[in-house]
This record gives sequence, structure tokens and C-alpha cells, in this order.
Amino acid sequence: MAIVAIALSACNNNTTEEKKTNDTTNSAATAAPVTGGSSVKDIVEHYLHIKNALTKDDGKEAANGGKALADVFAKFDQSSLTAEQKKTFTDIQADAKEHAEHISVNAEKIAHQREHFATLSKDVYDLVKTLGGGQTLYNDFCPMYNNNKGATWLSETKDIKNPYLGKTMPTCGTVKETIQ
Amino acid sequence: MIFIAIQFLQPARNKSGQVMPTDISRTVPVSPAVSALLKTGCYDCHSNNTNYPWYATVQPIGWIVNGHIQKGKAELNFSEFGSYTIRRQKSKLKSIANQVNDNSMPLASYTFIHKNAKLSKEDKALIIDWATQTNEAISTKQ
Repeated sequence: MAIVAIALSACNNNTTEEKKTNDTTNSAATAAPVTGGSSVKDIVEHYLHIKNALTKDDGKEAANGGKALADVFAKFDQSSLTAEQKKTFTDIQADAKEHAEHISVNAEKIAHQREHFATLSKDVYDLVKTLGGGQTLYNDFCPMYNNNKGATWLSETKDIKNPYLGKTMPTCGTVKETIQ
Repeated sequence: MIFIAIQFLQPARNKSGQVMPTDISRTVPVSPAVSALLKTGCYDCHSNNTNYPWYATVQPIGWIVNGHIQKGKAELNFSEFGSYTIRRQKSKLKSIANQVNDNSMPLASYTFIHKNAKLSKEDKALIIDWATQTNEAISTKQ
């Protein structure tokens, strides 16, 4: 209970601060409605952190990204979401947070990190399709991963950099969809 | 002396003795063959009903066993599978197939003691097929 109370008061503080900065700068008001806590932008940022680490076969860095991602999922501010969006978010959060945690504690097992990254990618895809990603993202597809069952991932660049096969096949894959 | 003293500190037993409405067998179709494999191979740590070995009553072994059960249940609890969101149910089924396929589960340290929990090639195929098919059958629409 105490933790919830602290979290709530922390969010309230942030809200007022955000409002103040918005008043003075009077810009970025059209961007994703951020009011305290973390936003979709933070989630995308840390997701891409994991993705880029995996393209370099860097399990340790992927773990750092996983820790940060689990954290922003936990602190996500839902106040600006509609009831319908909240439902979708809660569903995605329960799953994605767990994948992020697994990635964070398996720095030495990159194959296992990639398994979780595959499902996480689907979660984050659904999230940006529902709430918007705040930036242009590419939904890429690697047909070879997981015994040719294939898997998707989100990227901030149009060039293919494969997080599943890493340095062994860095350019394997195609852009399936551009998400504006 | 300490050894005798700690024998009085028994952790609470993980034994509800009933099948919960949220049990996986009441959530998705589970064939008797798969159900039997899950019960012998997984339920000790991944359900609310542990079949305790006698030495689990000896401390500190009981505490270690209890720690494993708590950790296992937090990760996946077949007794509460129905309470997971659809998305999470699908994730768990996918992980079950993956973990069984690459021999990560059941843990080698567990099958070393519980010889009957060791999965044969056929057992593994049965669980993997079941998990994969069930995952595909669950609609993401809620």
C-alpha cells in the first residue's frame, strides 16, 4: 500500500511539472500525451536498445536494455489512455514485462534472450499499433530464425540489421511494414 | 544441536489437494497422456500440488525444495493457468515448447533425483506438439 501511495504521489508531482514545462515551451503539445511516469516513447527506446545489442551478439548490453524496459513498463503512465486502450495495454504489459525481465537476467544465454525477444517484438508491435510509436518504425521479418518458422522485429532504420542471427547473417530479412 | 533445532522449522506445504477452476486442464484441452507427463515432470514445481519426497521433511533440504517451488510457481503455475491473460497463456505455451525442446526443462538436477520425470524423445514430441497446437488454437481476440 505504501508503495502504491508513493507511486501515485510521484505521478502527481510529475504531472504538475510536465504542465509547467508545456506552458512555457508551448511546443511538442501535439506529441504523445505524456503526463508523468513513462511513455510509449520510453518503451520503444529501450526495446530498440535490446534489439541493437542483439544485432551485435551482445547479451550483456541486451540485458541492460531488458532491465530498463521492464522498469518503464512497470512505471507506464496510463492516465491518458481510453478504457479500451487501457485494456490492451494491461494485457501487453503483463506479458512484455516478463519477457524484458527474462532478457535482463540471461546475459550469458543469448539464444534464450532471443526467444523472449521474438515474443516481446510481437507485444511491442501491438503496442505501437494501438498507441502509436512516436516515430517511424519498420516491422522486419527474418524467415530463417527458429528452424525457418521465422520471427519479426521492429527497427528504427530501413536497413536490415538482424537481431536473431546477429553477426552470422546481419542483413537477413525484409521490411514487412512501415509504421508511421 | 542446530540440526535438531531446525527440524522444527518446517516450511508451509505446497499442497492444495484440489483442482482449481483455473487449472490448465480446465482452460485448454489436455490429453490424458500429456496431462500425465505434466504431472510427473512439471507439477512438483509448477502447480499448487507438490508430490514431496520423504527427505523434504529434513531441513535444510526442505527449505531448498520450498525455494525451488516458489520460484517455479512464479514463473509458471499450471494450477492458475486460466487466470493468465490470453497473451500470457500463449507466451507460456511457446516457452514450454522451447524449454522442453532444448532440454532446459525439466531441470537436469530434478530428473537426476526423479528418474521417472525424465522425458523420452517421444514424451518431448508429445508435449511440444501439444503446446504448439494449443498456442495456435488460442485466439488472440478477447
